[in-house]
Amino acid sequence: MTTQAPALAPAAVSRPRTARRARRLPAPALVSAVVLAAVAALTLLAPLISPYGPLEGDLAARLQPIGSPGHLLGTDGQGRDVLTRLLHGARPSLLAGLLPVVFAAAVGIVLGLVAALGHPRVHTLVMRSLDVLYAFPAVLLAIAIAAALGSGISNAIIALAVILVPPVARVTESEAMRIKSADFMAAAQVSGAGRVSIALRQVLPNVAPGVVVYATALVGLSIVYAAGLSYLGLGVSPPTAEWGVMVSEMQQYLFTAPSLLLVPAVAILVVSVAFNVLGDGLRDFFNVRTDAS
Amino acid sequence: MTKFLVRRLLLSVPILLGVSLVVFITIKIIPGDPVASMLGPTSTPEAREALTARLGLDQPLPVQYLSWLAAMFQGDLGQSIAQQRPVLGLVADAFVNTLWLTAFSAVLAVVLGLVLGAVAALRRGRVAATVSNALALFSISTPQYTIGLLLIIVLANGTGWFPVSGMYSAIGGGTWGDLLWHLVLPGITAALVPAGIIARMFRSTVLDVMSMDFIDSYRARGLSERRILWHAFHNTTPTLLTVAGLQVGYLLGGVVFVETVFSWPGLGQLVFDSISKRDLAVIQSGVMVAAFAFVLINVVVDLLHSLIDPRVRA
Amino acid sequence: MTSPTETPETSGAAPSRPGAPAPTAGPALEVTGLTTTFSRGGRQVLAVRGVDVSVGAGESLVLLGESGSGKSVTIRSILRLYGSSARHTGSVVLGDQDLMRLDAAAVRAVRGRTLAMVPQDPNGSLDPLRPVGRQLEQVLRLHGVVADRKAARARALELLALVGIPSPPRVAASHPHELSGGMRQRVAIAIAVACDPAVLLADEPTTALDVTVQSQILDLFGDLQERLGTALLLVTHDVSVAADVADRVAVMYAGSIVEEGPAREVLENPRHPYTQALLDAIPRPTSERGHLKAIPGSPPVAGTDFHGCSFADRCALAQESCRTQPPALLPVADGHRAACPVANPVVAA
Ligand SMILES: Nc1ncnc2c1ncn2[C@@H]1O[C@H](COP(=O)(O)OP(=O)(O)OP(=O)(O)O)[C@@H](O)[C@H]1O
Ligand SMILES: [Mg+2]
Repeated sequence: MTTQAPALAPAAVSRPRTARRARRLPAPALVSAVVLAAVAALTLLAPLISPYGPLEGDLAARLQPIGSPGHLLGTDGQGRDVLTRLLHGARPSLLAGLLPVVFAAAVGIVLGLVAALGHPRVHTLVMRSLDVLYAFPAVLLAIAIAAALGSGISNAIIALAVILVPPVARVTESEAMRIKSADFMAAAQVSGAGRVSIALRQVLPNVAPGVVVYATALVGLSIVYAAGLSYLGLGVSPPTAEWGVMVSEMQQYLFTAPSLLLVPAVAILVVSVAFNVLGDGLRDFFNVRTDAS
Repeated sequence: MTKFLVRRLLLSVPILLGVSLVVFITIKIIPGDPVASMLGPTSTPEAREALTARLGLDQPLPVQYLSWLAAMFQGDLGQSIAQQRPVLGLVADAFVNTLWLTAFSAVLAVVLGLVLGAVAALRRGRVAATVSNALALFSISTPQYTIGLLLIIVLANGTGWFPVSGMYSAIGGGTWGDLLWHLVLPGITAALVPAGIIARMFRSTVLDVMSMDFIDSYRARGLSERRILWHAFHNTTPTLLTVAGLQVGYLLGGVVFVETVFSWPGLGQLVFDSISKRDLAVIQSGVMVAAFAFVLINVVVDLLHSLIDPRVRA
Repeated sequence: MTSPTETPETSGAAPSRPGAPAPTAGPALEVTGLTTTFSRGGRQVLAVRGVDVSVGAGESLVLLGESGSGKSVTIRSILRLYGSSARHTGSVVLGDQDLMRLDAAAVRAVRGRTLAMVPQDPNGSLDPLRPVGRQLEQVLRLHGVVADRKAARARALELLALVGIPSPPRVAASHPHELSGGMRQRVAIAIAVACDPAVLLADEPTTALDVTVQSQILDLFGDLQERLGTALLLVTHDVSVAADVADRVAVMYAGSIVEEGPAREVLENPRHPYTQALLDAIPRPTSERGHLKAIPGSPPVAGTDFHGCSFADRCALAQESCRTQPPALLPVADGHRAACPVANPVVAA
């Protein structure tokens, strides 16, 4: 039994049979990296380059269309500048997407290593517990956890981290099991190295590339989910600028000012696509494959 | 075969128990006194105490958990405080609605995914393959809550071609055609992500299988490329089944965003609504049902898998 | 299931290989000047550089060479399995047809029918999802050698019995993973001989099997040849396999044939320095030397250009002319040819 959510379904990261290792990062991945770097720069510079304050609205100039003078991307229902909110919204949107993956990677790697290198009983215990988490439809579980913890960005991050741990742990475990059976491990054991030392010195460096590649691909998904929680009112709460919040705010004007909705929608999509493309590129570059089976 | 099925079903029992434990704990974390929210702010302490005792909430947690389990076994999912109805009926209705949406988008996702994946694999190096790959990538990256809204803008706003909310029209509704018509936009929205995943999986599986030795021996036996392709597709079915099964499970519990955007009265919508109303009984039952269905789908997938691929039976 | 009954009837059949019955009429398969060129990353890789071999009916020719010498490419080129991913020159004449001149449909009609292949690895060469009997029946129906499904089924069981499978009905209903490696290779051979082909190509058919099964499978080839009169072109890197099976041996080095002749002649009286080195490099019980001689250097990488003899760089006898003039395969004894004018200066008629 694996999982349900999009890229959450790897049973194994393995060296592909046919594909040759790419010598350079493929062009689309390079483009994605550049796009993401640009997004990161804009995010950091948001307070400096935004024409207005994120909460500063002019009710006389509501719902200005894209391309209006003084409002490059128009204004929202409360007369706030959409470009400003987009720039300011990037920080919470990206953080809420990235941090869960970072936390999940940290916890998942530890769990995966413990499972793979620990006592068989520990292995069973860890893997069966993960199966339980896998049995939940991921989005629903995230929503339930976020709801239980109460709305707020940190709770959304925790909720997402919880649903991302099982796939990371599983990838780590299968990769570590593979490495464990390799020859040099036997040599390390014979030489009397301790379990922890083996885990850190021999297994972790070999597991890391695969897990990092896999985690990169998860970021796209995580950003979509994070904005989704905010959209549902479970993450960042209005009036704070955040992309999911913006989608939900613009939804009211779906029929009167539909093009405004495009702004946060495209932002989420671009970042998510960029992370997925980057993940694909890294996978080819490091010659690892995350099998969905 | 029966043995396989029984073993597989037995294996899912501990998982379901684990699931119920997680649900129980999650619900217990929810801040606030459920009894107070049930009775309203004007209730007397005596009334609250009485209800607490009646609901068994003064018992130790393990006892509460076990009695919840026992009740669930008897089909008693409790009472919805928001709707003053038994939860069972509520959840069952919502689940059926979600099933419609799931079935529709699953068919769409599999068809779309297979077409995109096959084009990407078999037209490798050509424009069509690049386009297919790009579409698949785009699909898996789409946030359902924005794509749904965009579809409304493009396909429904102004044109009125498709309804944008609910399952049936208020006037003259209720027919199969009406349901299908209402399914189009939410169905497409929900189908995109799984379609992208199936497409990417199918592409890599087809390429994998086509590079296997037996494909070449078929060639050496004189089979036409068409028939070889057919055998190759046959050999992708175990993987396809597994991934598609997972995606159906994902749809079952994961269409919350779609249901919200299109006001589809399904399970996700129900659970989400109940959160703001602190309707705990509905939340826990809704999540339980989704997880239960997911586990069940996995059993069915494994069973079909073993029928197709004799190697897993052994 | 590793069945102990790997050889019911075949083990008794004494194969009469060395000095086998003289082939009738012309050769069953005649390959002349075959070259195979791949394009790899814009570079042209010449993997087979003009191979001439011919096999008569009932005869077995072993193509012997070390890894990377181009044996598999030769076999696959004969079947034209590379499709558009390789370019060929030369001819592959089978009966009265030149395969290199046929269109794709006509080539398909030949494959599996008059020219069949036994794959190297029986573990991967059978469709894992279909019972092996069905795969056997498929070939029979495909080439129209049986009238209907029922006849195909009956013939399939006969063929399984022919290749020495103890309980054909049970095996026919099995999936490949339920059979042992030896059984699987027997099935693959049954599929190859199903349509009574004139020529059987076998690419290292025993390397994936353990030693005892190996010799049983080799015996089976001899037995089948005797009964069906099939010509056999078998590829191996294993000199003992060659000694076991071959009527004639062709030695391949870096994409071309350097020596060719009757098995005993070539293996006991090699005329080409490469063949001599190759035979010295293997442990032989008859050999009195305690250690093996490794051949110094390594073969040219496929794709490198060289003009003279491909072995010149590693050859102790090499002269200046060897590096400029490609040596022709010239007769050195009765039916024995070698491509080394230095070692065989006197050309026997
Ligand atoms: N499809 C291909 N494209 C490009 N080069 C190829 C291809 N197939 C084989 N080659 C090259 O042709 C050369 C001969 O390979 P071949 O597989 O025929 O060797 P072999 O004699 O069968 O060796 P082995 O005993 O290892 O099977 C090798 O150098 C290989 O790299
Ligand atoms: Mg080979």
